[in-house]
Amino acid sequence: MTGPALELRQITKRFDTQTVVDRVDLVVPRNEVVALVGESGSGKTTTGLMALRLVEPTAGRILLGGEDITDLSQKDLKPFRRQMQVVFQDSYSSLDPMMTLGEIIAEPLAIHAIGSPAERRDQARHWLERVGLDGSYATRYPHELSGGQRQRISVARALILGASVLVADEPTSALDVSVKAQIVNLLQDLQGDMGLSMLFISHDLSVVRSLADQVVVMLRGRVVERGPTDRIFAAAHHPYTRALLDAVPVVDPKARRRRTFLTADELAASTPRFRSHEIEPQPLLDTADPQLVALVGSHFVEAIVTEGR
Amino acid sequence: MTDLSAASPALPRPDSAKRRSPLYLARRRFAANKAALGAGIVLVIIILLAIFAPLISRTGPNDQAFLTKSLAFPSSEHWFGIDDLGRDFFTRIIYGARVSLGIGLSAAVFSLVLGLPLGALAGYLGGRFDWAIMRIIELFSVVPPLLAALLLATLTRGGVWAIVLIAGLFGWVNVCLLVRAQVKSFREKEFIMAAQALGASPWHIVWRHLIPNSVSPVIVGFVLAIPLAMMLEASLSFLGIGVQPPTPSWGQMINVGMNFMYFYWHMAVFPVLALAVTILAASLLGDGLRDALDPTLKGR
Amino acid sequence: MLQFIIRRTLSMLATFFVVSVIIFLMMHAIPGGPFDGYEMPLPDNIKAKLMAQLGLDKPLWEQYLRYMWGVFHLDFGVPYQSPGETVMGLIAHAWVPSLVLGGLGVLIGAPIGILLGMAAALNRNSWIDYLASGIATLGLTIPVFVISTLLILVFAVWLHWTPASGWGEPRRWILPIMAYAAVPLATYARYARSAMLDTLNKPFVTVLRAKGLSERRIIFQHVLRNSAIPMITIFLPMFVGIATGSIFVEAIFRVPGLGAYFVSSIQKRDYPLEMALMLMISALFCISYLISDILYALLNPRIRLGGKAR
Repeated sequence: MTGPALELRQITKRFDTQTVVDRVDLVVPRNEVVALVGESGSGKTTTGLMALRLVEPTAGRILLGGEDITDLSQKDLKPFRRQMQVVFQDSYSSLDPMMTLGEIIAEPLAIHAIGSPAERRDQARHWLERVGLDGSYATRYPHELSGGQRQRISVARALILGASVLVADEPTSALDVSVKAQIVNLLQDLQGDMGLSMLFISHDLSVVRSLADQVVVMLRGRVVERGPTDRIFAAAHHPYTRALLDAVPVVDPKARRRRTFLTADELAASTPRFRSHEIEPQPLLDTADPQLVALVGSHFVEAIVTEGR
Repeated sequence: MTDLSAASPALPRPDSAKRRSPLYLARRRFAANKAALGAGIVLVIIILLAIFAPLISRTGPNDQAFLTKSLAFPSSEHWFGIDDLGRDFFTRIIYGARVSLGIGLSAAVFSLVLGLPLGALAGYLGGRFDWAIMRIIELFSVVPPLLAALLLATLTRGGVWAIVLIAGLFGWVNVCLLVRAQVKSFREKEFIMAAQALGASPWHIVWRHLIPNSVSPVIVGFVLAIPLAMMLEASLSFLGIGVQPPTPSWGQMINVGMNFMYFYWHMAVFPVLALAVTILAASLLGDGLRDALDPTLKGR
Repeated sequence: MLQFIIRRTLSMLATFFVVSVIIFLMMHAIPGGPFDGYEMPLPDNIKAKLMAQLGLDKPLWEQYLRYMWGVFHLDFGVPYQSPGETVMGLIAHAWVPSLVLGGLGVLIGAPIGILLGMAAALNRNSWIDYLASGIATLGLTIPVFVISTLLILVFAVWLHWTPASGWGEPRRWILPIMAYAAVPLATYARYARSAMLDTLNKPFVTVLRAKGLSERRIIFQHVLRNSAIPMITIFLPMFVGIATGSIFVEAIFRVPGLGAYFVSSIQKRDYPLEMALMLMISALFCISYLISDILYALLNPRIRLGGKAR
C-alpha cells in the first residue's frame, strides 16, 4: 500500500442549497494524529462521516491507504471498513442497550464472520482488558457503566478488527475533565501500540494540543488554516484560529488574556491578505476568492492574494 | 500492551452477581407493581379456566340439561345458577371466557401482524411512506372505533372472525404508533451508525439492533390490544351484531340478562362481573408492562 | 398563527372528505337494501321504480355528489323507517335527550374528576391517590354498558332508590347521567393528576417554594394555571364522545335519543339516517379536534406564564 493512511480530496457536501463542507483537502499521514477543529456547525463532523462513507459526499474523493473508496458499493466497501473505524461523542447512544458489553465488542467480528463464537468471546474479553476494564464486564450492560467506561467500550469495538485508521468524533467532549484525560491517554497508548493513524475531531484545543501532530481548522465548511500543532499554537495566522486559541482556559491568572469574540462579518473583513510576491510557491492569481497559501513549511492559511508588490 | 489500569484507578471492580439486563430490570419493576402482578395472576386463572373448561364442567355450554330448574338461583350445585334455557350458567361463563379471550388474543395477533411491519417501516424509512401511514392513522382517529365497528359489523353480519378482523383493524393503530416511535428514535442512534461503519448489512441492523430494541413496544402494544378487542366484542355482541347465539359471549349474556335482572339478578351480575374483571385485569397488566418497559426509564 | 389555523383547517377538511367517502362507500356495501327485509317481497319492477325515485340507480360518484350537495343544505334525505319525516327533523328532536343527559353527565363528571385528580396529585401515594387511580382505571376500561347495567342492578333493583329507565321526569335521569359521567370523571381524574404532577415537578415551582410563597398560593396562582391547558384541550373531544356513549346508555335506559336512533337505523338498514348520524359525528369529532389543536396552540405561551412566575 502506498500513500497516506487517509486522504480527502476536494470533498464537498451540499444539503439542498446549503454547502456544509466546501472543497476540503485533508491528509492523515500514517502513524499520525490529525486534529480537525472548529466550532459546532463548521462541518467537521460531516467531514468525518464522509471519510467513513456514512454520509455520501456531493463531490470529491476519499482515499484509504492510497485506494479510492469513493464509488465502491457497500459490498465492495466492506473489506475496507475493517481498516477504518469510528468512535462517537455520545457514549450512551453509541452502544446498543439490549446487548452485553461482550456482544458489543465482538459484534465487528460477527459482522465480518471472523472466528467461532467462543473465539470471539475470548477476543472480546482480551479487548476489555486492553482498554482497562475487567474481563468480567463482558456480561454487563451499557447502562451499568459510567460515561468514561462506555467510551472505552466504543474504543474496543472500533479497534478489535485491527483498524489502521480511527476517526474519533469528539470522543471526550461529553466527559468530565478527569475522565477525559484517561480516555486521551488510552487513545494515545493505543495509537502508539498499534501504529494507528487518527482523525481526531474536536473543539477542545487543550486535548488537541496534547494529542495531535497536525491541526486543521475549519470554519463554515472551509479549511482556514492547517499546520503542525506547535506552529498553530505558537504562531496561528488566521484570526479565527487565534479566537479559538483565546478561548482555551489558562491556569495562570496573570497570563489571562482578554478573549476575543469575532462576528462573521468581522471575520470576513479580517481574512489575511497577501501580495503575490510574498507567497512561495506562486498562488493562483485569477481569483478574488480566499485560497490556502503556504506560510512556512507545511503551515497553510486561507488568505486573499492580490497581484503586485 | 500498556498497563492501563494504572491510568484508571477509580474503576470499580464489577460484581458478577449484579448483572442486570434491561429486561431483568423491567421484570423487577413489574414485580414491584402489585396491581399489575395481581392482575396478571387473575388473568392466568381466567385463562386456565377457559382452557380447561371441558374438564371443569360436566355439561357443555349449550346443553339444556337443567330445563326443569330454569332460572334457578346460584346454589352449591350450580355456582352461578341456571339460565333461562336450562343451561348451567357457570359453564356458560367459563366458555364465554374462551370466546372473549380467544377474540382478544386473535385480534391482538392481527393488530401486531398489521402494526409491527407498518410501524417499523414507517419509522425506518420515514419520508413519504411515513407520511402516508400517518394520514391513514389520522383517519382512524377521527372516526370513533365503536361507531365504525358497528357499521362494519352490520356489513359483515357479525360472527367471530368478523369481530377479530374489525378489532384488529382498529387495534393496529396503537401497535403501529408505538413501534414507529421506537424505531424512529433508534434509527438515529449512534450505535446504528457504528454498525454501518462496521459494514453491517441492513438486515443485520434490523435483526440485531432494531428488533431487539422494539421488544418493549411490541409487548405493550400486544397486551393493550387484548382488552380493547374484548371490549369491542362485548359491545357488539351486546347490541346483537357481534358473536351470534348460541356461541356463549359475555356481551350477549348481559343483553339477555338485562331482561331478567329485576327478578333473576344472577343472569346479569355474573356476565357483568366476568367481563369487568377480565378487561380490568388485562388493562392493568398492560399498563404495568408499559410502566416496567418504558424506554424512558431504561438504563440509568 | 393564522397560517397554522388555515393549514390545520385544510388538513381537517381533507380528512373529513376521505372519511365521508369511506362512510358513503361502506353504506353502499352493506348487503341488502331497504326493501329486502319484508316478509312479502316487492315485485322487481316496483322495486326498480322505488330505487329510481330515491336515486339509487345512478352511478356511485353521482350519488355521492348529490348526497353531499344535500348535506351542505342540511338535507339528509328521508329516513326509510318513517317516510313522513326528514332525517334532519328526526335528528332535531332526537338530540335533545342525548344532549341534556350527556351534557349533565359531562358537567357533573368533569369537575368531580378534576377535584379527585388534584387531590390525588397533592397527596401522592395516599389513599386518595389510590382511589383516584382506581376510579380512573375502572372508568376508562369497563365498557359503558357494563357500568350502566351495574347501576341499574344496584340502585334500581336492589336499593329501589331510583326508577331503572325511561325519559320524562328528572328522577329517571339520575342513572343515565351517572352512566354518562363515568368516562369524563375517569378521564379528568387521570389527566388532572398527571398534569398537576407535571407542573409540580417543574423547576419554577421549586423556585416559588424557595422564595417562601405559601403552598396554597403556589397551587392556586401558579400550578393550576399551568396545568389547566391540557385539561381544556381535551374537553371538546370528550364532549363529542357523548355521541358514542349514547348508543349504549340510551339502549339500556330506553331514552329516545340519538343513540337509540343510531341502533335502530342499523337494525332497520335505514341508510339515510345512519349516514347522517355517522357523518355528523365524524364532523363533530373533526371540528372538536381542530378547535382543540388551535386552543392548544393559542394557550401554549405556557412558557411565558412560567417565566412571569419566576
